[in-house]
Amino acid sequence: MGRTFTRQVTEYTIEGIPLTSELVDNYPVLTTNITSGRNLQAGDSNVVLLSENNSAYFDKTVGDTVTILGQDFTVVGIHGTNSVSDRLTLYMNLSDAQSLTNNTGYITSFRIFTTSSDVVSTVAGTISSMHSELTVSTPQERMTQLQQLQSSYTAALTSAENSINSTQTTAFEEIVVVVAATSLIVLFVMLYTVRERTKEIGTLKAIGFSNKTVMGQFMLEGILLSIIAGVVGIAIGVIAAPTISSLLLPSVSGNLFGGTGAIIRAGVAQTTTASVNIDLVLLAFGASIALGAIGSLYPAWRAAKIRPAEAMKYE
Amino acid sequence: MSKPVLQLENLNKTFTLGKREINAVVNLNLTIYAGEFVAIMGPSGSGKTTLLNLIGCIDKPTNGKVFLDGIDVGQMRENQLYKIRRDKMGFVFQTFNLLPYLNARENVELPMEGKIKSKTERKKRASELLAMVGLSGRENHRPQRLSAGEQQRVAIARALANNPAFILADEPTGNLDSQNKQEIIKLLANLNLTQGTTIIMVTHDSQAANHTERMLLLKDGKIIKEKEGLHLAMKNNKCPNCGGSIKSTDQVCPICKKPLITSEEPFSA
Repeated sequence: MGRTFTRQVTEYTIEGIPLTSELVDNYPVLTTNITSGRNLQAGDSNVVLLSENNSAYFDKTVGDTVTILGQDFTVVGIHGTNSVSDRLTLYMNLSDAQSLTNNTGYITSFRIFTTSSDVVSTVAGTISSMHSELTVSTPQERMTQLQQLQSSYTAALTSAENSINSTQTTAFEEIVVVVAATSLIVLFVMLYTVRERTKEIGTLKAIGFSNKTVMGQFMLEGILLSIIAGVVGIAIGVIAAPTISSLLLPSVSGNLFGGTGAIIRAGVAQTTTASVNIDLVLLAFGASIALGAIGSLYPAWRAAKIRPAEAMKYE
Repeated sequence: MSKPVLQLENLNKTFTLGKREINAVVNLNLTIYAGEFVAIMGPSGSGKTTLLNLIGCIDKPTNGKVFLDGIDVGQMRENQLYKIRRDKMGFVFQTFNLLPYLNARENVELPMEGKIKSKTERKKRASELLAMVGLSGRENHRPQRLSAGEQQRVAIARALANNPAFILADEPTGNLDSQNKQEIIKLLANLNLTQGTTIIMVTHDSQAANHTERMLLLKDGKIIKEKEGLHLAMKNNKCPNCGGSIKSTDQVCPICKKPLITSEEPFSA
């Protein structure tokens, strides 16, 4: 039991960038964090920049030729990871990517650079109103989405934690109630037993049993009673704990989505299960002895005080 | 004369009920010797039960002395008295008082538990005692599988467990039909004859009392009359009526043909 973790990973994502010197020289269209080889540059064709994951996946490194969708490319460099979305992204010239995927003339996204960050939302708003068919996302929006995601995940965790805590509190209260109830039950059962057996106890004293022996006998009886109950309880607990715990304890689950392209989709689900271990069994066993002793103390004392003359009473 | 097993000297027991004082036992003097078979009789309220409780170390006298086997037990504390009850006397109750969840042998073993360490020894002695009361082969029967008479036999065997100075019997025939009653009387008489067991019996039953050797009549806390019973003559193998020679097993005198068991009220008139 415990944790399960599933993830679905695409093998790689091809991203084509228009490698004209006007764009490359003036705007940050290229990825950063090159770990070996070189970055793409204006005029590159039939070359790729692999991510470290791609490099491992294709088993290719700088200078090698890699075959992608049936076409050969030369690896010019390898980039490290900048965000969750680009771990699996390999970059190449836009026209290479378009012809490779039979998408000549099509693009799936374009970036707009503004001269000042102050106008980003105005520009985004204008574009949205002009072209309702476009999905516009700004860095701020993406940040907000991530923050919302994070806070909802935190909230889910917190509520799960709270419910586990409240279950623990409830369990503790229940234990206190159970302990008190058990002692009381033993007390009443033993008091009843002592009353029922007044004549027998009187007889035992008349034929020469000491107060101590009588008291010990009844303590032992109470403890045995409690131990039997304890063993039955432990047996039921061992058999039924998994079922009962799944009914009583909250299950914790959450989903983590990362990246706009859903490049990574990781589902995290965790269930909490109570199981019975040897410490718990020993504790329960010890508790049943202690509770039996506590519960039968007073009845045993009462038994010891019974006068031998009770043996003479004629029903 | 044999040694005294029970001596009561100026024994008094007074109960206070509200403002009223009840003198249950008044200046009572009594000595019972080893080997005697004694019946204490008396109407309800005569102080029989109080006397029995005083002899049985269940109650303490207001004043006066109780010697059991030469030991003054009158003011002993409970943590010593249980040993006196265990070692010096054997109780026989009207309602047998066997433990229902123990078999006959285990019931007989009970008083020995504090005294004889070895379980094998206890078992052996219990079996011997059960044989003595005529219950060999029934050791493993629980009380509910025994007749009333058999249960009282087990109780008598239990009373004999620790070789007591005397058996203290409280109406031992009170819960028995006439057949079983006679058997128990004969058993007690036989134990007295053959084993020399001292028996002190509190009883209402004239037939049982007639079979002792010494009958005491208690009234208002005092012994007002004392009489010889048939058992004394039987001890000497003589018919109490004609003085002719009899055997201890005879039910009727072989000479005068008079019954040797009688239900005659001993203290009538």
